Parts: sequence; C-alpha cells; structure tokens
Amino acid sequence: MTNARIFGYADPLNARAGGQVDFMISVEGRDQVEMELVRALHGDENPDGPGFLEEVIPLGLPKTLQVARQFTQVGSFARAQDPEGRLDGLHSFTLFAHVFPTLPKAERQQIIGRWDIEGSKGFGLGIDPDGHVAMWVGDGAGVDEIRSEIILVPRCWYFIAASFDGASKQANLHVISCVSPWNGRISTVVPLQTDTWVSETLRHAPTATKGDASFKLASATAFNPVRGHFGAFLFNGKIDRSGVYTRALARPDIEALAKGTDPSQQDLLTYWDPTVNLTATGVGDIIPDTGPHGLHMHGVNRPVRCMTGFNWKGEDSYRLAPETYGGVHYHDDAMTDCGWKVSYSMTLPESLKSGIYCLRLRGGGGEDHIPFIVRPAKPQAKIAFLLPTFTYLAYANEHLAYEAPIAQAITAHTPVIVAEDLEYKKLEEFGLSTYDHHTDGAGCCYSSWRRPVISMRPRYRMPAMNFPWALPADLSLIWWLDHVGYDYDVLTDHDLHAEGAAALAPYKVVLNGTHPEYYSEQMMDGTEAYLAAGGRVMYLGGNGYYWVTGTREAEPHCIEVRKLDSGSRAWQAEPGEGYLASTGQRSGLWRNRGRAPQKIVGLGFTTEGMDESQPFERMPDSFHRRASWIMAGIGEEELIGDFGLAGGGAGGIELDRYELGLGTPPHTLLLAATIGHSDNYPLVSEEVTYAFPGRGGTQDAQVRGDMIYFTTPNHGAVFAAGSIAWSQALPCRGGENNVARIMRNVLNAFLQDGALPGSQYVGDEVLWR
Amino acid sequence: MTKFYEIGQRPSEIILHPDGDAPLHRRRLPFTRRHLLKWRSRTNPKSLQQERMLADKRPLWWALGLGALAITAPFLTNASLTIAAIFCMFAAINVLWTLVIGTAGIFSLATLAIVGIGAYASAGLNVYLGLPWPLMFVAGGVAGLIVGGFLALPSTRLDGLYYALLTMGFAEICRVFVQQLKALTAANGAINNVGSFIPEDWQLQRPGLLLGFAGAFVILLLALLIFRIVNSERLGMLLQTAREDEAFAEATGIDYRRARLMVFLISSTGLGVIGAFYAQFYGSISPSIFSLDQLMLLFAMIVIGGLGRSEGAVIGTAIVVLIDKGLLGLGPLRILLVAAIMLAVTLFAHNGLVGIREQFRGWRNRKKSEARARRTEKGGEVMPEEAIEFADKQEIYYRRFQKRLRDRLKALITPELIEEHRLRPLGQHSDALNRVLNHFRRGEVADKYAIMRQPDQFHAYKIVAFSGVRGAPPRLVDDKIYDDINQAYHAVFLLRVNDLMES
Repeated sequence: MTNARIFGYADPLNARAGGQVDFMISVEGRDQVEMELVRALHGDENPDGPGFLEEVIPLGLPKTLQVARQFTQVGSFARAQDPEGRLDGLHSFTLFAHVFPTLPKAERQQIIGRWDIEGSKGFGLGIDPDGHVAMWVGDGAGVDEIRSEIILVPRCWYFIAASFDGASKQANLHVISCVSPWNGRISTVVPLQTDTWVSETLRHAPTATKGDASFKLASATAFNPVRGHFGAFLFNGKIDRSGVYTRALARPDIEALAKGTDPSQQDLLTYWDPTVNLTATGVGDIIPDTGPHGLHMHGVNRPVRCMTGFNWKGEDSYRLAPETYGGVHYHDDAMTDCGWKVSYSMTLPESLKSGIYCLRLRGGGGEDHIPFIVRPAKPQAKIAFLLPTFTYLAYANEHLAYEAPIAQAITAHTPVIVAEDLEYKKLEEFGLSTYDHHTDGAGCCYSSWRRPVISMRPRYRMPAMNFPWALPADLSLIWWLDHVGYDYDVLTDHDLHAEGAAALAPYKVVLNGTHPEYYSEQMMDGTEAYLAAGGRVMYLGGNGYYWVTGTREAEPHCIEVRKLDSGSRAWQAEPGEGYLASTGQRSGLWRNRGRAPQKIVGLGFTTEGMDESQPFERMPDSFHRRASWIMAGIGEEELIGDFGLAGGGAGGIELDRYELGLGTPPHTLLLAATIGHSDNYPLVSEEVTYAFPGRGGTQDAQVRGDMIYFTTPNHGAVFAAGSIAWSQALPCRGGENNVARIMRNVLNAFLQDGALPGSQYVGDEVLWR
Repeated sequence: MTKFYEIGQRPSEIILHPDGDAPLHRRRLPFTRRHLLKWRSRTNPKSLQQERMLADKRPLWWALGLGALAITAPFLTNASLTIAAIFCMFAAINVLWTLVIGTAGIFSLATLAIVGIGAYASAGLNVYLGLPWPLMFVAGGVAGLIVGGFLALPSTRLDGLYYALLTMGFAEICRVFVQQLKALTAANGAINNVGSFIPEDWQLQRPGLLLGFAGAFVILLLALLIFRIVNSERLGMLLQTAREDEAFAEATGIDYRRARLMVFLISSTGLGVIGAFYAQFYGSISPSIFSLDQLMLLFAMIVIGGLGRSEGAVIGTAIVVLIDKGLLGLGPLRILLVAAIMLAVTLFAHNGLVGIREQFRGWRNRKKSEARARRTEKGGEVMPEEAIEFADKQEIYYRRFQKRLRDRLKALITPELIEEHRLRPLGQHSDALNRVLNHFRRGEVADKYAIMRQPDQFHAYKIVAFSGVRGAPPRLVDDKIYDDINQAYHAVFLLRVNDLMES
C-alpha cells in the first residue's frame, strides 16, 4: 500500500469559469504533493468501454503544493456564545434539560456543561459510561461525581437537573420521567419506575475552565497538542429546552421545570429554548437564549432541528405547533463541514472549457482526485448537461454495502469493494450519506460537499452493485458527447436550484444525468418553467425528481432530505419529523406533495434491480410520424441497448414508467419499453397498496422501463428514457451503437430552432389497415 | 423429544425500593469519596421497578462475625478467652502476611521472624533500657520497618521459591542468634517480665484476660483496616494492574516493583507492632517465635483459609487455632488433623475455604453448559432457560423460523442447482435457486461475504467477509485470486452453500 494518505475537497463544488475554487487538502505522511489540473473524460475502468480517461489541463499551476494533516470535528453539538465567561466559574448553580437519550455507550456523554476533559476542570451533566445520569465537577486537582441510581431507557423523554451549592458542596440530582402517550418509543402502559433524586455532599467544587473549555450542549471540550481544542464526550439523542440557574434550585422549582412551565426569572442565567426561532421557512443553527444575557447556542455539524419535543402531541409538523418542537437531535457521527483550512485557491480562466475537473494530487505513492464542476463564464453551447449534484451529495460516502443487511437482497449482488473505500470507511471521519444511519439508528438527513467524498471520484464504483453510480456514471455521457463532438456546457443542480429556469433558459436542450433523484422546489419549478417556455429536456435517467430536498439559503453545500412515509427509503423519519429544517417544507416524495415526476418528464419511478439490465424494444407508437424520426436507423424489431456498462443493457438499475394516473401528459407517445426483467426487479413500495405475491419482473407488467416522447408549449419537448443504465450503454462498441443512434437523432432535432420534426402529424389518422 | 422445564425464581436477597420523588442521601466516609457500603441499583427487567440492594455484602458478614466475637467474649471461659485472643493476634499477623503474599505478590516466609524481631527489640528496650510500654509499639514498628527494609531488597531480585528459602533461612538465623546471645543464655534466649498494657496485678486474672483479648481484637481490627486501605487505595490498584499483566502495567508507567516494596514495608511495620503486642501479651518473648513449626502452622492457616483474601486469613486462623489450642486433649493428633484438613483443602478447593463459593458457582455453570449442550443445537430452537437472555423476544422466533427455512433450503441444494448458478450468477433463476439466493442475501452483515477487487487489474478479485462493525475492515476469507467476476460470485455462492449445509 501507499505510505501517504491524501484527502481533499473543493469549495464550491459548482464553480464557474473565471471564478475561484478553494481546495482543502489533508495529507498524512508527506508535506508536499504534486498537483495537476485534469479534466475527467471517462471514469468507468470496465474494459468493455473506453476505460478511465482524463486530460491534463496546462494551466501553469505550481508543480508541487505544501500540505499538512488537517483534523475533522466529527459529531454535532452546540456551543454557547459567551465572550464574557458568564457561564464559567459558577459557584452555586443548577443545570437542567429535557433530554431524549438514544444510545447508551461505553463513553461518557455530556448533555450540558462546561468541562475541560484534559484538565479535569469545570462541571458537566450527562450520562456516564454505565448509562447513569451523572454530574461531574472538578477543580483541576480532583474530580467528583454524583450519579443516579438507575440508567435511562433509550428513546424516552426525561427531565434531568443537577444542582450544586458552592458553600456546602451539596449536590442534588433529579431525574423525572416525561413519558406521555405521544412523545417516545414506549407509552404510559409500561410500569417503568425511573424517577430518581439523589443528594450527596461532594469533596470538590468546580473551578473556572477559562479558555480550556466552552459551555456546550451535547459535548465537552477535549484537547490535543497537535489538534488543539475539540468536542468530545459527544451525546446521542435529543435535547429540548435547557438552561442554567446561579443557585441550587429547590425541588418544587425542579418539578415545575419538568412540567415545562416557563422558568422563574429569579437567578436564571440562561434558558435555551429551541422553539422560539422556528419559522415557516425553517431554522438555522442558533438555539436562542431567552434569558437575561442572550448567550445563544451555535450548532456545529448541524444538530437536527424541527424535531419533536418532550411535550409533542402528534402534530404532523413543527409549523402547526412549534412550541412542541423543541427537540434538537445530536449525533456523535454527524459531519457536515470538515472546516479545513484552504490549502490552495485557484482562479479559473474565463476560457476554461466547461466540464468535470479534478485537482489531481500525487505523492508518496498516494493519489487523490478532488472533483469539481465548471460551468462556463457565460452560456456557450446549445446543449446543457445538468449534472445532478444534489444526488451526488445524497449518496456521498454511502455505507450501504457495509452496513445495510438488506443491501444484497435489493441489488441481488455480492458487493465488490476496493481498498480505497476501506480507507475511507476505516477513518469514519468524512461523514455519512442520506442512505446511512447514525450510530443511534436515526437516519442521516444532511449531506455536504465540504468533506472528501469518495463516491464522487471519477473511477469510483458503488460497492453494492459493482458499477459506477452518479458522477462516475455520468462521465459516460460526457465521454460520448466529446466523442461525437457535440458542443455542450455543464450545469449543476446547485445552479438550477439557485437560479431556477434562468439557468436553463439559454439552452436549446437540457440533458439529465443518470440519476437526478433529489430535487428542490426551485429545481422542480425551474425545469417545469423551462419546458413550458419551449425548452427541450432529454431525461436520461431513472428514479428522477423523487425526493423533496432543500438547502438553507446561502448554504448550498449542504442538502437536507427527510425520508418518510413511502418510497424506496433507506430510513424513515420519526413521526412528526418529516419537515425540512432548511426550508420548512414537507419532505418525502414529490409525488406525495402533488408533483409526481410524470407531471414534468412523463415518467416516474417504478422498479429497481441490479442483477442485469435488459434492452428496450420498440413499441407501436415509435412508428407514428410524430416520433418515428427518433428511431431513424433502428430496425423494426431491433433490440435497443442489449449492451451496456451497467448490468449489460440500456434498460435497468432503476426504471421509470409512463402512468397517466400519475400525470404523464396525455399526448405522450410510448416509444419503447424494456421487458423480461428478473424477479429481482420488484414493483416499488409506493405503488404497493395491498401486498400480494407476484410483483416481480416476471409477473408484473408495471415492472419495466419506458421510452417516451411528448411536446410542451412553444416547441418544447421531452424525450425520456427512464433507465439509469441508458447513458452507460453509450460508450459501448466505440460509442457507435443504437442507443447512441437514438441520442443523435433526438439531440440533432432538439438543437434545431422552431417546430420539431413530426410536429405536423397531428391530424386524425385515415387508415386502410 | 426435548423436555421443556419451567424456570423462574423469587428474589433471593433483600431489596429496597427507593422513592423517585424523595431524596436519597448518600453518606460518605469522612475525607473520602467513598461510601460506607457499596449499593447496586437497577431497573428490574421483569417488573421494571427500581431496586436497590447491597452490591458487596462482605462488610455485613465482617460486622456480624467480629460483632459476635466481641459480644460473646465476656461470657467465655478463661481458657476460651485466651484462645480467642490468640486467634485475634494470629489473624492479624496472617492478614498482614496476606498483604505481602497476595497484594504484593512477594512469597515471604519471614513473617514470624519480623514479629519476633519486633517483640525482641521492644521487649529488650523495655526490660533493659526502661522504655515505657506504650512506646514499645513504636519500637516494634521501627524494628519491623528496618528489618522489612533489608528483607525487601532481594525480593525483586529473587524468584518466588528462592526468596521463600531465603526468608526461611533468615528466620532460622534469628533463632540461632537469639539463643546464642550471652545476655539471654540464662533465660534460654527468652526475655521475661516485659512491661505490658495489662497491669501487673491483673496478669492471668479475669480482667487481665479480658483486657488482653480486647487489645488483640483491636490489633486485628487495625490489621484489617490496613489491609483494606492498602488494597482499595492507589497502591493496591497499581498492584492489581500489575498482577493482571506486568508488562502492560510497566508500559503504562506503573512502577509496580516500587509499589510492592511499599506494601512489604507497610506490612513489616505492622508485623513489628504486633511483635511488641505479642511480647506484652505474654509478658515475655522466647526464641520459639522463630521456629519452623510455628511458621508451618501459620502457613497452614492461610492455605486452609485461602490465599490473598483477608477472609481467608481470618477463617483459616480460626480453624487452626481452634484445633491447635482448643483441642489440646487430642495431643499430637491435632497436628495430624490440621495436616489432614490442609491436605483436603488443597486437594478439593482451588483457593481455600473462601474460594469454595466461586468454585461451586463455576461448577454449577459448567454443569449448566453441559446440560445446555446436550439439550440445544447451535442456531436451533431456543430453550426456556436460554430465552431469558434475549431482550428482543422476536429473535427467538427468528431462530425457529430460520432453522426451519434452512432445513427446507438444504433439501433444494443439488448439483444441478449449483451448476445453474455457475452458468449464470446474475439474472433470473429457477424458483429453487431464487429461494436459496434470497436467503443468503438477506443475512446479517457481520461475516457476510463480499468480493474485493485487487489493485492494478480490473478483473482480479478475492473473497472477503464484512466485519459488521463500522470502521472495522473486512477479513480475507481466501487468498485465491479470481480473474472473472462471475467466478468470484460463484465462489461466494459455494462458500454460502457450504455454510448452509454445515448449519
């Protein structure tokens, strides 16, 4: 193996020629690496296609780059903004919080406090390694602790409070169960007796930590001489309202707080109430302090907001009863921003060709390609290739093959893994995808580009199915466009999300990537408006326009999705937690919000399977003059795409279907369809109302991929081949094959101004046969 | 037919149920973070009620045993009272010796020698230099400390057996030395008329005997206190780590040799103090304290009781003292009796009488495992006595279901089916192969097979198995390289078929 480990990421992922890209790089084992800018031409190394191709772009970059090891803060928590140190060196105090622990673990978990781990100074309230609630205090010389009698039951709400009297060193610890019929995993029928109240005189009193620690929720402060201060003792679970008093509260005050009544103001230092800044358009990382000093908490690595609180009573959304949505979910493995220092900043020339680029770093036998996407300074070509960057992020660093027991059953494959992948998985530093679960079992709803993402490296193959996925798969279409010599610009989901239809408007044709699955409202609207205004879309993917996705305003690097209710979902949001904290919108499937993908591109998700792909067969509509030009050069019974780099066919992996009932335009022509899928292609769950046997490819007619064509207003049109494997069939046979033939027919026609071919054949057919 | 036995038991210990809304005051020992008793609380998994019980009941047994001795002492006959006092004294010596052998791990046989030197030194100072009796304890302690210091030096250089021989020799040298001292030849090496905490006119009277017992009792309590403090504080903890793994302890910066010497010095000082007490108790001291037979009797005590634990030291002492001093009527037979008990204990018990409880539990566990092994099969039906170990009862059903499913699938495995897979690992399969494959694919991730592409060549694969733990890499199953992905798929299939048929 190599003796250097090189990792990096680019910010922004979607750059523009003439703009600037920052590269954050961390290298272990070397202090300098060789650097070169390359344009990715093809990724898949499969010998049946063109193989891995890249070209070096001579931009006159420095040959080598000084680099260093950079560290990543993993885990989400919140840090109080307390420049005056009001939360430091408290003499007598009470810490309190409503908490919902989700994972007892072998490491101490701090819920609230200011604790310097290395120096053993300060105070912290949390859960000890045995699962007891505990408050620990330290004066640098000695540590003392008061802990509860019993351990907490995961996924139940509790009120916990710890008071300390500085004069007598008397500590009191209260744990009061808040289980209601609504708010947790179990209900009031369970005869759990979990309340506890312990009183003990401690030997040590806390001292001020000064700069050695900060006051935090869900974390304490650790120190490493190389790395500096960082968060450790990370807590898994939700924390609702919490706060600090500057005196030891008596039991009646504690009981009142446990019930959720407003805190008495006497000696109240802080009261963090996550509900007060929830708005109809979501919420950011600040947890406001409504106490006298306004010492607001700032979330790190996106603590998940808009989650149900201890007083939740079944409302569907935080927007209906915000006062019951004080839950903020913290995870010890959340990571949305590596926060590395910029290692190199590159200003891209105005003339740089639009495309997928990588900063290629080599040294000590190690190599990394840091991908980023460049759109032109101004639209140049008539064709736009819209790279589904939201989907790239959704799958970023996914762990499916490694962690999901059902992954092999879904893909009908034995996974094929590589050493580079293991290196990423071993580190567990670069975060999760929206297909993964946090350590406590909760689904991961955030994914960001501010971290090294192995699944965006050009050669990467998804282990679960052993073929390229997302960006590496989309390179097949890039290669083919270059091969034929089409002039094209690349755009990203993020550009469409930011600019809407204006991003697409300059182009005659917009091509989709293989898997444009994650869509924001802006992207849906932009695509629909573009089509309605006469734009032409070639939808060349499977399972597109599927999940309601969002980003915070001005923070495009991090997408959010909540998987819920139906659809092929790697996880399911807990009841009431299906709304996006980034935008305030209900997440889940677009079809459940009235915007099935069929309404935009005529096709919607119907089946998936990864064992083998099938060719398309022409349907009778392909002989109608309105669309027969698409099939020019294709034999009447010719199998279209009985080859391909993904499953050996052009129709497979994830497939979309024509369905009038879901909004396919009524004048749509069904040009071709796949047939003969195995039973490893079952009908998707959102189509299953009653479960009965026989919903697999050999028995259910809805298990297929369709190829369709319809026109939109103002000479617009949609050509759709609803299959992820479609574009990955293009590079086969030297790029000259019948899939490519159809692509050329459609592209050439779509590039022409004015009426589309065949658009005159709208009369009633007068038939003799 | 498997027989299903009913299980279930009433609670077997006293359980407190603390209130959740009233304060539970935890009292601490002054100047420490320790509590007097170690309690254990839990949520009873069956009733879900909070339970609080004594986690360590030994303090209770100690209090009962020592309390009973203290209360009954005034009612004992004079002879019995003397036996009780001797018991206390020897128990104290043995507790400190246990500290040396058990905690410090130094196999020293110089215990009685140190006691004797403490006794001679303090008695000599008292008789010849007029040292008042209360200061004799100090003198004994200092003498013990000095001798302990000399004896400690070779302890880290010599291995167990050699050190034992060395210390035994040391005791013998002491005896010969004392007997040949000119000053003491008149009294045959003894020092008599030693000053004492027992007033002169109470000697051998009832109040004197009572006072003697009380003193010995206090000495025992002090020895136990030292034992407890050394073992539960830093010193004992360092040594516990060293006992588990010396190299590890050293690597983590624990200077266990120093800690051992410290323990040796502490117990030597204590033994010296006991020596002073010994001389005062009898009012004299004779060379027999250094004799081999005394040492062997002492050795019998800790062997019978069990090495390394204070309970063992005390119980062993009680038994041997009772036989040796209480059954004087038996004559020399009683020595044979002690030897017989010692032999029986070493033959049948792993660690003396105090180890019997653990030994019994171990034996019961072994019987339990044997019975289980007879009654259950791996991956098969869960027995009622195993079901209590499942928090998720659904797992029990899964076991039953999977077992029957595997039995059905095994019947489907034929050469034709394997051939079908070899020809076409991916795609639509026969119903039988579909069922077999689906079973394989749905298995848990831990130890599930995968294929690992080898670097530098597109088609080069090895078989691995996942760890099932985030961050932990897969293990290599087979070093063979496959240069066709379908061969690799089929190799995995064959491994899985093999696992199925063996289950």
